[in-house]
Amino acid sequence: MGEAEKVLEARGLGRTYRRGSEEIPALDGVEIAIRRGEFVSFMGPSGSGKTTLVNLLGCLDNPTSGELHLCGRMIFGHGKPLSEKALTLVRRELFGYVFQNFYLIPTLTVRENIELPLAFYKKPGAEGEVDRLLKLLGIEHRANHLPRQISGGEMQRVAIARALVNRPEILMADEPTGNLDSKRSGEIGEVLTDLNRTSGLTIVMVTHNPTLAGLAGRRIEMRDGRAYEEG
Amino acid sequence: MITPFGIAYRNLLRKRIRTVLTLAGIMLSSWVLVSLFGFNQGYETALNRDIDNMGYQLMVMAKGCPYESATLMLQGGKGIRYMDEKVMHDIAKRPEVQAVTPILMQAFFDPNKGENGGIAGYFGVDPASFPAMKPFLKFKKGGWFKDPAGDEVVMGYEAAELEQREVGDQIMVPEKNVPLKVAGILERTGTQDDGTIFVPLKTLQKISQTDKITTVGIKGKKDADLAKLENDLYQLPDVQVVSFAQVKQTIMKLIGTARVMVLSIAVIALLIAMVGVINTVLMSVYERKQEIGILKTMGAMPGDIFRLVWCETLILCLGGGMLGIVQAVVFANLTGVLVRRLLPYAPGGALVTIDARLSLLTLAIILVVGLLSGLYPAWRAGSVRPLESIRSE
Amino acid sequence: MRTNFRLLVLVALVLMALAPRTLLAAVGCDLNDPDRDVYRLYPGATSYKTVYTSIYKAGGAPLLKKIEARLGEKYLSLYAPVDLPFTIYEVYQGAKKVGFVHGVNQKGQFGGIQVFVALDLSGKIKTFYIQKISGPSAGKLREAGFAKKFAGVSLKDFGSFDPATGKGHGRLAELKNPAQGDTDFYGVLRGLKKNLVLMDELGYTGKGVGK
Repeated sequence: MGEAEKVLEARGLGRTYRRGSEEIPALDGVEIAIRRGEFVSFMGPSGSGKTTLVNLLGCLDNPTSGELHLCGRMIFGHGKPLSEKALTLVRRELFGYVFQNFYLIPTLTVRENIELPLAFYKKPGAEGEVDRLLKLLGIEHRANHLPRQISGGEMQRVAIARALVNRPEILMADEPTGNLDSKRSGEIGEVLTDLNRTSGLTIVMVTHNPTLAGLAGRRIEMRDGRAYEEG
Repeated sequence: MITPFGIAYRNLLRKRIRTVLTLAGIMLSSWVLVSLFGFNQGYETALNRDIDNMGYQLMVMAKGCPYESATLMLQGGKGIRYMDEKVMHDIAKRPEVQAVTPILMQAFFDPNKGENGGIAGYFGVDPASFPAMKPFLKFKKGGWFKDPAGDEVVMGYEAAELEQREVGDQIMVPEKNVPLKVAGILERTGTQDDGTIFVPLKTLQKISQTDKITTVGIKGKKDADLAKLENDLYQLPDVQVVSFAQVKQTIMKLIGTARVMVLSIAVIALLIAMVGVINTVLMSVYERKQEIGILKTMGAMPGDIFRLVWCETLILCLGGGMLGIVQAVVFANLTGVLVRRLLPYAPGGALVTIDARLSLLTLAIILVVGLLSGLYPAWRAGSVRPLESIRSE
Repeated sequence: MRTNFRLLVLVALVLMALAPRTLLAAVGCDLNDPDRDVYRLYPGATSYKTVYTSIYKAGGAPLLKKIEARLGEKYLSLYAPVDLPFTIYEVYQGAKKVGFVHGVNQKGQFGGIQVFVALDLSGKIKTFYIQKISGPSAGKLREAGFAKKFAGVSLKDFGSFDPATGKGHGRLAELKNPAQGDTDFYGVLRGLKKNLVLMDELGYTGKGVGK
């Protein structure tokens, strides 16, 4: 595994929550490295720390210990937590996010929802992305519909397109099919696999769904705040 | 491409009733505010116009003499004091004076008016100088007297209506039983001229067997120091000076109380609207906490979210403010009628005048107040942390 | 939905713009002191009620035309608009309405004449009162003795006598002018007729609404 290929590397990453005087460790010195173009899934029971880990890897939260390197840059590990603003700067450069709930804006059309991130920040070359993604994700014919006029599977496709419009390095997907039936789940799984294969997109996914997890090239099992490589 | 403004606008459409109610609140306060400004301006303009319509800025009369026909009637024609025409010639020589006109006010007892008789007032004016001072007086029919000592009258509109006179008709001066011919009838002016009967000065002097006058109307030169002239005139023996600048000040002082009252209403309305804006925007921020969190994961900076929410406030205030101004302009006349009923003295003409300058001023105030109200909700929205909002499902 | 809402706003704005403006009030004909004058004109009255009406309210321009035709005069009253308010004093004895007091403006030789009549419910004159009149004949016409001669006169008497021309027969034609100069004498008679016709046409003594 060459250094240049690593887009993400965690070294001894830990996170402790405080409840009153009690300290609850959620993550305990996680070591992990993800290469460009990998499709990694995290599985594990509730409370195993998988969402906490993904939030740290996706720069949604500050760790309490350890280091995080993204594309060769050390993000965490300087000793003090990053501000919300600094986190935002990292996020918008590197990540796209998909959540269990699609969080589409109900008064905006499908196209406008996908365009939304560009209203705040626009990477060079993002201009043609909206149309390309509409086509790629098979929702071209829904471009001018409002979210309430389309199906759940289509809504998640819109959310994926929105996450990709600024050409992120890594797509973070937290239970992307949690709100979908098995047929739609399968479709979304296919979409993610396609994106990974054809575009070489790095995907980090958290899921309960073993079928979905099976689609990933690399599976990591979370138990008691530690990560165990499978297979 | 969707813009932050577009996002804010669409968001307001989500809860239409709430948006409309907030708009209505802002509209009302903007209406009250611009009407108040319009009244402030309109009243003063109307008052100035009324005072300009007097034709002269200063009047000098014998001490103790009533200075307008209405007071004369109320006092039953008593208390008329006379002065020499020489006083007028002396005043005319002063450097500040552009023109003077002599006036003789007379009251005659008419036994055939009402049960116990009544007073009829006549205004003796000089055909050479008086009409020149009141060039704005327009005739419904006829014109000014042709003969400076002719047996003629010019009647104000209401006087003609009361006496059922037309040009060419006769009118009898009571007590003296002198018939005079109606030479002209004036159009309605909305001032006390409407109820006045004008007679050539010489004629009225002849009828009342006097060669004196009661009043001198004085018009100052442009840019002349009228305050100084007024002070000088006070030095003359046995005369009193009425300055319309003074009259205006007195009236404006009377109106001051009403203005303060209306201003407080406007301020309260503005405060209520402000609370309404804060409430509406804050509620919509709370409802969209998760959405805002997602926007942040997409790369929106706290400042972006702040602007987005502020933009909603801006749209509400701009919309409500403009609607209020339109309404105020549409209802300006009605407001004028209401104000007229409430005030002790209201000049003729439009009382509430709203122009572009006042509209812009009001809009600016509404915007500033609105944007201030939007600060807190916008700050709250800007400081939403994406992780918390996503977790809070 | 959105279009409808915009349309509503538009309609509302137009309606507001067309809202009626208050008109300038004109000089009507009122008693100077009704609390004194009504009881003097109607001895025995215990109370009165002031009501306002106008030709505009009662029938508009067609009614004005009709009244002017009945009077044979060009103007009901100089400068008076069609919405000029008429003041009618309804006179009561106890709870019972017994008659009216009503006045009109009439043109005289040297000024306006204000003629008030006291009528019973059928429109018969009980007495009349000239509140205002100018000129040398004023005093004679205001004498109580002259007013007495009109007791019982009704519109029927004006059927055989035209005060606009002074021609005709009957008790009005036989009346002698107590003063010199006919203008004011006939002016008073025309004022009386105008009073009676108005009260008839406005429906107080006639068959109209006010009864």
